[in-house]
Amino acid sequence: MRAAAVSLIITTAIVLGACERKDEQIKVYRIAKAPLESTPAPEALMPTNASSPSALSTAAPTALVPPNWEAQPLSQMRQASFLVHGENGAVADISFVVLGPAAGNLLDNVNRWLGQLVQAPITEEKLKGMIQPLPTARGEVAVVDLSGQPENGDATKDGRIVGAIAADANGTAFFKMRGNTTLVGAEKENFLKWIAASRASAPDSSTANTNVPPVTSDKPEIKWEVPAGWSPAPASAMRYASFAAEKNGEKADISVVTFPGEGGGDVENVNRWRQQIGLPAIGAELLKPMITSVQAADVRIDTIDMSGPSARVLAGWARQGGRAWFFKLTGPPNLVEKEKPKFVAFLQSIRL
Amino acid sequence: MLRKLINVITSLKLTIVCLVAAMALIFAGTISQVHLGIWEAQQRYFQSFFVWWPAEGNGFQIPIFPGGHLIGAVLLINLLAAHAKRFQWAWRKFGIHLTHAGLIIMLAGGLFTDLFAVESHMRLSTGDTKNYSEDPRRMELAVIDTSNPEFDQVTAIPEAVLRRGGTIEHKSLPFRIVVRHYYQNSRLHMMNESGVTLKSVANQGPGAQVVVEPAPRATGVNERDLVTAAVEIIPAKGASLGTWLASDALGAPQTFSTDGRTWQLVMRPARYYKPYSVTLQKFTHERYVGTDIPKNFASTVTLIDPERSVNRNVLVYMNHPLRYRGETYYQAGFEKDDRTSILQVVRNPSFIAPYVACIVVAAGLLMQFGYHLVGFSRRRRPVMA
Repeated sequence: MRAAAVSLIITTAIVLGACERKDEQIKVYRIAKAPLESTPAPEALMPTNASSPSALSTAAPTALVPPNWEAQPLSQMRQASFLVHGENGAVADISFVVLGPAAGNLLDNVNRWLGQLVQAPITEEKLKGMIQPLPTARGEVAVVDLSGQPENGDATKDGRIVGAIAADANGTAFFKMRGNTTLVGAEKENFLKWIAASRASAPDSSTANTNVPPVTSDKPEIKWEVPAGWSPAPASAMRYASFAAEKNGEKADISVVTFPGEGGGDVENVNRWRQQIGLPAIGAELLKPMITSVQAADVRIDTIDMSGPSARVLAGWARQGGRAWFFKLTGPPNLVEKEKPKFVAFLQSIRL
Repeated sequence: MLRKLINVITSLKLTIVCLVAAMALIFAGTISQVHLGIWEAQQRYFQSFFVWWPAEGNGFQIPIFPGGHLIGAVLLINLLAAHAKRFQWAWRKFGIHLTHAGLIIMLAGGLFTDLFAVESHMRLSTGDTKNYSEDPRRMELAVIDTSNPEFDQVTAIPEAVLRRGGTIEHKSLPFRIVVRHYYQNSRLHMMNESGVTLKSVANQGPGAQVVVEPAPRATGVNERDLVTAAVEIIPAKGASLGTWLASDALGAPQTFSTDGRTWQLVMRPARYYKPYSVTLQKFTHERYVGTDIPKNFASTVTLIDPERSVNRNVLVYMNHPLRYRGETYYQAGFEKDDRTSILQVVRNPSFIAPYVACIVVAAGLLMQFGYHLVGFSRRRRPVMA
């Protein structure tokens, strides 16, 4: 009897030991595509153990929303967000974002959207021919319809952007629909009706995202020394300052942009710049060794040097006093190489 | 023969041998942490059945010493078997039985914790919502079928399978994955960076513009390996689609199409999905006045569980974890100027074992010493009189 008990114990131990380790098993599972439900919490909300009904935030411009648009939870930037499903898995994403006066001019933003579709930037002249003016309750809005399939992109979710930009003294409103080419075309009429019905009034504070940092009209303090050979360029709403450097018919653009708060993550920012010059996205591990620092008088500025097939970007960024500052030199690789010492000197001269 | 085996397994000598081996293992494992780091030393010495030599590589390996799992398991078997053989019921021995029962619970609890406990992290920036946690120490190659408009089907291939190399086949995949190269730790460089002479091991996706340089294992407490693999996709019918580089450093998932479906390929920390979501509403980091010494850090999170109709806010701070559905969320750290909170997520089905074991051992010792004390005082009483 005792021998049997001992044998049973040994057998059990052997069976346990023979079990496949959990970290060597291939797992298969399904994840719903629908965004996760989230509840923006007011600042004063105290933790509680009491259950409360789920709530989905549906802040939207004061306009009628077509019934087939599914409201989505808001992100840090979006004040309205919808998803439309079409046939064969086609999807289009609709967003409404309001930024402060420093939100860039029409050309900058259209070129940014073209970059998202991996299309070459366009000139002011070409843009004029693409704009469709749309009278709305907010005033006249510029509408553009852009197409292009990103490399390795998913045709069910991408391929066309219909965007509209309305700017006034108080800020810039962006309406954007991006998704499957056919579905975006089918929804364009609904989208334009929705834009036309939107009012210029400030978003309802009860539905606005509380995480968006307040936009201040006070011009932040910064000083620098402009290197010889750089000429002031026309300022845009998004840029704090612009300069241009020209040599042998080639032109490089120098921009200074600032945002309240963090101004996004380093990986996201660098990948946006990389996308603009046709480079693939990278992760944090790869980015780390690419960053070098420049010491200005009272702030350390992280910098990166990226060269694409036809353009090169030198970028620097610093965060101080609750603001993020971005300094960027963009242009043909040869000219950027020549201007690099000046750009570094410019960064070193910065006083925040 | 069986009697001899039983005698060995139930002998006190085996207990002594195991305890001496455990001491030697702990000594060697502790010293090795200098070069291997705590995580790798734990894996090689304590969370294994044998200590192997050489420790790495796919070639021939020989066991040179019993590992923590083997020593613990033999001790447990020895203890159980000795009890099964020698157990005699008597009140005067009840304290000893209880103490040994506590030790058995402790050993078994340790083994079960090691086998079944899962530790991971949930990193949340203010406003973020997640329904999964990640294990930054274990990577996985996620092959995601994105064709269905309602859901993504994920086939998660653990790092350990990639390390073995060879061909990976699974019923959820209409193609074979051949691991062409595997790097436990690596450095990635763009091909157009000056001074880079290596060639890319991939010919598809952004990895084709990247070269991989093998790197020594990361050993620091806050360091981790950058696992990279070059994998070739070969459909069941047809020619190879090419070789992709999968690495955590490459960022965005890479896409390919075959069999009329669109797939994504991404190397990422192993994920553990949950039937509920957690949103970080606010993170606070208090310091002692005039210093940078942390006084308290706390996360206000919203827990939403549609299945159980739960939607509530919870404050998680040091020594005050959130316990939900068998998982415990501890406030573990923070990043990015106090805007990102790191919660440690622990699922340990046998977490109660050490508490029970300590109580049982304490009760057993109390009973045994109490029994002797009473006997001793009874024997002394006539002398006092």
